[in-house]
Amino acid sequence: MTLAKTAIIGIGATEQGEIPGQSANEIAARAAVKAIEDAGIDKSAIDGLVTCKPPMAPGKVGTDEDIGQLLGINPAFASTLEYGPGAFSLHLAVGAISAGLAHTILLTYGTNLRSAGASFGGGTRDWLTLAGLVHIAGPAAMAARRHMHLYGTTEEQLGWVSVAQREWAQNNPIAIFREPMSIADYLASPYVVEPLRRPDLTMISDGGAAVIVTTAERAKDFKKPPVYIQSIAQQSAMRSDQNPDKLMRPWIKDIADRVFANAGLGPRDMDLVYLQDATSVWVLQMLEWYGFCGVGEAGPFLQEGHTRPGGSLPVNTNGGQLSECYMWNWMHLYEAVRQLRKECGSRQIADVEVALHAQTHDFYKGAATILSTHAG
Amino acid sequence: MAENKFPDVNDPATAPFWKGTRDGKIVVQACTKCGYLRWPPGPICNECLSSETEWKEISPIGTLWSYAVYHRAMNPRFKDEIPYTVALVELDDGPRMYGRLVATTAKVEPGVRVRAAFQEIEPGVTFVYWEIK
Repeated sequence: MTLAKTAIIGIGATEQGEIPGQSANEIAARAAVKAIEDAGIDKSAIDGLVTCKPPMAPGKVGTDEDIGQLLGINPAFASTLEYGPGAFSLHLAVGAISAGLAHTILLTYGTNLRSAGASFGGGTRDWLTLAGLVHIAGPAAMAARRHMHLYGTTEEQLGWVSVAQREWAQNNPIAIFREPMSIADYLASPYVVEPLRRPDLTMISDGGAAVIVTTAERAKDFKKPPVYIQSIAQQSAMRSDQNPDKLMRPWIKDIADRVFANAGLGPRDMDLVYLQDATSVWVLQMLEWYGFCGVGEAGPFLQEGHTRPGGSLPVNTNGGQLSECYMWNWMHLYEAVRQLRKECGSRQIADVEVALHAQTHDFYKGAATILSTHAG
Repeated sequence: MAENKFPDVNDPATAPFWKGTRDGKIVVQACTKCGYLRWPPGPICNECLSSETEWKEISPIGTLWSYAVYHRAMNPRFKDEIPYTVALVELDDGPRMYGRLVATTAKVEPGVRVRAAFQEIEPGVTFVYWEIK
């Protein structure tokens, strides 16, 4: 089966930060309303719904049945992902459209994990918790230390991930962390899990985001310029510690090879790059595995300033999860679409046509999408 | 009720490992069909999918792959222990294990050789720590 040509024709986001007193489902529904408004359609045009469970949410949260009920729709196709950030939900929708299950699919995500006081501090008696390896900062710190050992990467070089993203965030009114942060400020901040500092780790925030995907053919009829999905690819690494170098995540290169090959493009063709940043280390790794620099060379590449505003490779122009908000890569997708539509005001990058949107579920799996203003 | 933060060392799925640590040994599952040494414990061989297994003592020596130093307790139960260091060790016999690094004045660097040190942390519960050789 060939991949149907699809496009994003609507995006929506709620306020980001703290949304006390609202359920995750309510936030997801409000984001959906924004996306429907953005697309300029009636909800009756939607015949597919993809939702996902927010991270760390207890019980039945984020299901298609509950969010579909809130929105008052009877979609032909509906599904909920246990793990459905950004690209994973998007790829399910693209697949469902390719299979003919639906033609116009609404994807929506909402979370109140900040207001709910969600904990990312690990379990109780699993092997990693028993060892004290709790929170993603632990394995990410190990991966950073290994990178430093193998390639001579410095803490300052790693710091440029967070500093560059903060520079981007200063021009993003949505961003939660906008106060200036220099590399000296970064280096002066205390370790959390050495060699990582607070600015290396994602914030925790409440918010909602939604996307509407349809066939390329239909996309021409909608109000906003379509952003076409040129290519998708995924790869898992579920063998976990049976894989050597698990924490370095070399399998991301498999995603890169496939997503570029499927589009007939390479890293040099990307005008914009969005890399999900649960930690700064993930950005460091993905710059290498996606071929924006050589393996082991991300440290100097970052220090040279390529990813900063005005640099040769705009990365996470919204500020990412390190500075904008913790929206599981959904707001990276939102930003990519807005940049490609030229809606980003003072941080708008000129002449952008192609964006890479990539993410990983830590050590388990990853996904990437190439977005383009061109249908071809 | 206080959170039970100690493992159930009598759970049949893991009891041979915990008996091993009490005896100062690292004991893991070995597939009786293909010989693969399995860590962490599981119901079937991750390699050949056989469910026939035995427990086998392996070498307590390995190489430090990397480590992380916790300066903040990311989980409140560790608040009295910071700073502490967690190691990822590649054992000479194959399995990869996470565990605390014994405090040391030696230079800690990926690639250094380590050996298991067994520390009773609760009556009947002995953890594997790692010390630089």
